[in-house]
Amino acid sequence: MGERGPDAANPPRHAAPPAAAPAIEVRGLGKRFEVRGHDVEAVRDVSFAVRAGEFVCLLGPSGCGKSTILNMVATLIAPSAGEILIEGEPQPRGRVHPGVGYVFQKDTLFPWRTVEQNIRYALELAGVPRDEMNERVAAAIAQAHLGGFEHAYPAALSGGMRQRVSLMRALVARPQILLMDEPFGALDTHTKLGMHGTLLDLWERDHQAVLFVTHDLSEALTLSDRIILLSARPGRVKEIFDVDLPRPRDEVSLRETPRYAELSSRIWHSLGEEFRKVRVP
Amino acid sequence: MKRRRGSALLWQAAIVLAVVATWQWGYSHAGLKMLDPYFLSRPSDIWQQFLQLGCLKSARNEWVAGAAQFSECLARKDNNLWVALYSTLKNTFFGFLTGVASGYVLGVLLGRSARLSEIFEPLLVALNSIPRIALAPVIILAFGLGDTSKIVTSWLVVVFLVFFNVYEGARTVDRGFLNAARLLGASRWQVTSTVVVPATMAWLFASLTPAIAFALIGVIVGEFIGAESGIGRLIIESEARAEAAGMMVAVIVLMVVGVALTTVIKRLQDHLLRWQDRAGD
Repeated sequence: MGERGPDAANPPRHAAPPAAAPAIEVRGLGKRFEVRGHDVEAVRDVSFAVRAGEFVCLLGPSGCGKSTILNMVATLIAPSAGEILIEGEPQPRGRVHPGVGYVFQKDTLFPWRTVEQNIRYALELAGVPRDEMNERVAAAIAQAHLGGFEHAYPAALSGGMRQRVSLMRALVARPQILLMDEPFGALDTHTKLGMHGTLLDLWERDHQAVLFVTHDLSEALTLSDRIILLSARPGRVKEIFDVDLPRPRDEVSLRETPRYAELSSRIWHSLGEEFRKVRVP
Repeated sequence: MKRRRGSALLWQAAIVLAVVATWQWGYSHAGLKMLDPYFLSRPSDIWQQFLQLGCLKSARNEWVAGAAQFSECLARKDNNLWVALYSTLKNTFFGFLTGVASGYVLGVLLGRSARLSEIFEPLLVALNSIPRIALAPVIILAFGLGDTSKIVTSWLVVVFLVFFNVYEGARTVDRGFLNAARLLGASRWQVTSTVVVPATMAWLFASLTPAIAFALIGVIVGEFIGAESGIGRLIIESEARAEAAGMMVAVIVLMVVGVALTTVIKRLQDHLLRWQDRAGD
């Protein structure tokens, strides 16, 4: 698994090496579901790319198919049309690329494993030697400020702590590509802000390519380099916004800058049109 | 809390005492004429019978003194209480063990394979609808009067019970856990061993308490029909001699055994499922 050292490779985010294939490339992606005998089109002709080291948010109203797109990239759902390339290669049927990590919306920590055992899970599967495994798990626990809770079971943790464990469970395997499906959707505003800080810190070190699904505009602006705005169902790419806010970012003071306000109002206008379409009269 | 528990114990003791006292003196007292000792014996007779069957007192009602006399008595009575108990417990143990093991493996296999469950589920449902005890004479005929036939009878009643529980558990393992494991790099086999097995533990344990009772029933019924030793045979022998006390000794011993085995399982369950409901500690 290609490991990115914190300092060795720290490419400017908008200038990936020209020859390298994008981390994720999606072409003409479509998805139809059968729901109680009705044919529902969830996603229509979606194309975009995420470059290596780039943080991209998929933003759209509920039910626009953004999670469906992410799940197709993660091979959890089979597409009805189009193709998905990871580092230029199609993924073998039903098997996710080993360099891809995934953080779920729903809490999927294994309740029968402690914090420490949850985090080491991927390393156990990969057969990482015990010493190295202990070292990496200890580092992950320190990074996510989980010290003192190593031997707690998930049932004893708060929602924010559980999501930090989930994040480290995915990151400890050092994926170059990270898929995140509204990972902070269930958290309260303050916990969420704290998680943004944690995620930004971790990402500044390793610069994974991230595809992050959210319906929260401020979250998308805080985290991403680019926002792909999807239309209401069937989900299509409506507009793509470059988020040229300086890095490293501070999740609190960022929101006080004029540029943030300007981008926010522009995207909000476009997003608002889509919200209106799904509003129940 | 402690007081409530104490008062519950007090009530329990009072109820047991009342039952024992009525049993002992009800028939002869004030012409009540209930609980005829010919059919039901009475506590004092049962106690005496226990001492004799257990080689603690001789037939002349003298205390057995010393190891030599004790073993001489054991040798004389070929189905004394201890030999009978050992035989019944041994067969219960093996019937339970084989039944639980095969029921568990079958449950996980069918629960995780749509193809296998499609083929075998209807067959197992059909077999399950046979009252298994009705097969006991057939099993004695096929396997003889020895231990094997008891173990097979016991296995037969346990295996379905465990199977249907674990099968249900394995089919309803949270999809989120399965997806998480797969995306963290688990192979099909690793998904089974690291997710399905721990996730079905609670279902397995839910079936173990009835399973131990069923295993005991299987062995006793087998012994009723034909056996060289065992508590079931002790009951039949006493019945042939119209000795209610002997039957009652066997029944009470079975009750004690049942309570002891259930306690062991409860302890094991508390240890293995310690991750459940531990919020707050």
